[in-house]
Amino acid sequence: MTFTISPPPHVKSRESVKSVMWGTVAALIPVSLAAIYLFGLPALMVILASVIAAVVTEVIIYWAASQPITAGDGNAVLIGLLLALILPPDIPIWIPIAGSVFAIAVAKYIFGGTGTLIFHPALIGFAFLLAAWPTLLSTASTPHLGSFSDLFLETGAGRLIEVSPALVLLGGAFVLYKRYVDRRVAISATILLIPSMLILGMGWQLPYILTGGFFLGLIFLAADPVTSPVTKRGRLVYGIVLVVLILIQLHFNAYFTGMCFAILLMNAFGPFIDKNTVPTPIGGR
Amino acid sequence: MPTRVTLCEAQEASALKIATIKTPDQVIIPLQQHAGAVCNSLVSVGDIVSAGQLIGDGESRIHSSVSGEVTAVSELPHPTGKNVPSVVINTHEGAEKEIEPEELSTGKLRHIIREAGIIEPNGLSTLRTKAEIDTIIINGTNTDDLSSNAALMLDYPAEIVYSLKALMELVGAKKAFIVIELNSEALQVMRTETIPDRNIKVIATPMYYPPGTEDVLVKNVAKKKVPRGSTPEDRGVLVSSIAAMKAIYDAVHGIPMIKKVITVAGAVGSPRNVLVDIGTPIGHVIEECGGCNGTPAKIIVNGAISGTAQYTDQVPVIKTTTGILVQTEKDVNREPPAPCINCAWCVDACPIGLMPHLLYGYADSAEFDRCADLYIDDCIECGLCAYICPSKLPIVQMIRYGKHGIAEAEMEDLS
Repeated sequence: MTFTISPPPHVKSRESVKSVMWGTVAALIPVSLAAIYLFGLPALMVILASVIAAVVTEVIIYWAASQPITAGDGNAVLIGLLLALILPPDIPIWIPIAGSVFAIAVAKYIFGGTGTLIFHPALIGFAFLLAAWPTLLSTASTPHLGSFSDLFLETGAGRLIEVSPALVLLGGAFVLYKRYVDRRVAISATILLIPSMLILGMGWQLPYILTGGFFLGLIFLAADPVTSPVTKRGRLVYGIVLVVLILIQLHFNAYFTGMCFAILLMNAFGPFIDKNTVPTPIGGR
Repeated sequence: MPTRVTLCEAQEASALKIATIKTPDQVIIPLQQHAGAVCNSLVSVGDIVSAGQLIGDGESRIHSSVSGEVTAVSELPHPTGKNVPSVVINTHEGAEKEIEPEELSTGKLRHIIREAGIIEPNGLSTLRTKAEIDTIIINGTNTDDLSSNAALMLDYPAEIVYSLKALMELVGAKKAFIVIELNSEALQVMRTETIPDRNIKVIATPMYYPPGTEDVLVKNVAKKKVPRGSTPEDRGVLVSSIAAMKAIYDAVHGIPMIKKVITVAGAVGSPRNVLVDIGTPIGHVIEECGGCNGTPAKIIVNGAISGTAQYTDQVPVIKTTTGILVQTEKDVNREPPAPCINCAWCVDACPIGLMPHLLYGYADSAEFDRCADLYIDDCIECGLCAYICPSKLPIVQMIRYGKHGIAEAEMEDLS
């Protein structure tokens, strides 16, 4: 009789890279549906174009480099979906395609693929589009100025993600519960951001950060497992410094792009924070 | 972060009861059942031995668990995966060797523990040093969901407390703690049993794996830190186990460590706790517990997270065995590893506070000095990081490789 032998452990948790990635995609489905409901066909076109372009780019690149094609793990779909959600709906269809191709080809593949990349690919794609075609990316409207944004269906939304803060939070609660995104980053940043804005006299900007875009940024983009630090202390530091950067960006920049650049800048600090917060084992040195 | 590892269905109360099994026709007693050098055999082929007779001596002592005839002394498979010199005994009916119950006195107990060959589940002797001990911690938690500790406490509460008191008197410890999981049925039994003793405390811990790590227990229970390179004993804390307490009680009453309560779990007819003679082949134990349900794909000694998968079911139960787990093909995880995604779940899970994913990466690229900088030697190989890893990386295996690499480099430096 033959038995399998392998190193321990002989049981493994059910979570896998696939379940993490597809689970995060699933958490974004409700808000995507709400966006399609509010914006109609253009929103659907943007999402489809972005996701399909991301997957096709990944397959082609990994095939050309004769590396195992990992498009099935959902990472490309997630990047494409996140990029689509932070774009306005009334843009030419080639815009999300260009963004997705750049995100996968440059921000993901060149930086070594999932796990080793430094900057969030969806944000890199967004930054690339913003630098290349700034005029095409301006939103037709912004969430209501001066009043708290509508939690359920935001009719003044300019981007797909802004349609419903409640649905983003719903998905966010799911991924935080399942730990598909980092709890420490997301919660420390969210908790710290609101009081510090009030203290700094930026209270009039408060409605902005209660939009879906901000919740997406803090929960899905900043707390993304790949780009955020890994040490326990490091993740808290990351969340706190991120809030400082967001506050600075909010002062000088448009609210949503400001947050995106704050996260991108913070991504660069991730490895540095990790290196300086190596934990000591419980016994001490 | 407490992580609960669930691997088999909730153990029924009836399964907790310790059952006895038929003595096998042949036992294989390895001459190395402890962490240390192989013992010398005191018997040769053709000798007639009786149960309880000393057959191996050296760093530890090994006794025959059955009465019978020695048919071979040769290298045979051992649960750790290597071949170890073992004594094979064909059993025949014989009266158990009578050993005079010795009078218990503090001076003698230390002698008895050595004479009876009592070995903790981690392979070390119960009393290793003569360091001053002020606290004793008894680990009554269920490693890897194996319930043999709970079963022992339910069946022999008085015996365990008796040994603990004797041990406290011997080393001069002022207090003792028995650590039991919150949901364990043994909790109430042990609480009742220790009511008269004010200096013995029963502590309930939440259910999480690995509960029985020495350093973690010492930190949480005795509130003392064990720095690198020292043992809990250096800090005046002795960590022992329920199994050792039962063995001490038996030893005081003249029976050396020749039997062991183990948990048989997984895909077997009736999963339960059984009292097994040391040296019984695990195939025989599984047979006695109702055999395998379906074709066994993997047989694991000592639990699903940190146990060793066996290539044959002819390996014997030894003093450090706590359980046998049988897995069928559907339980075996064959998912290929994916790249690390930096999710930091392993960092959250590590009970020691290491960075397993970095150790994996550095060991993988043979950067052993970097592994050493990240305290790779502190790793207790509990396997929690590899359990939780969504990328299914063989982290424990790679950390072992890293430790091995460091040890080799040090050997080269010496020569």
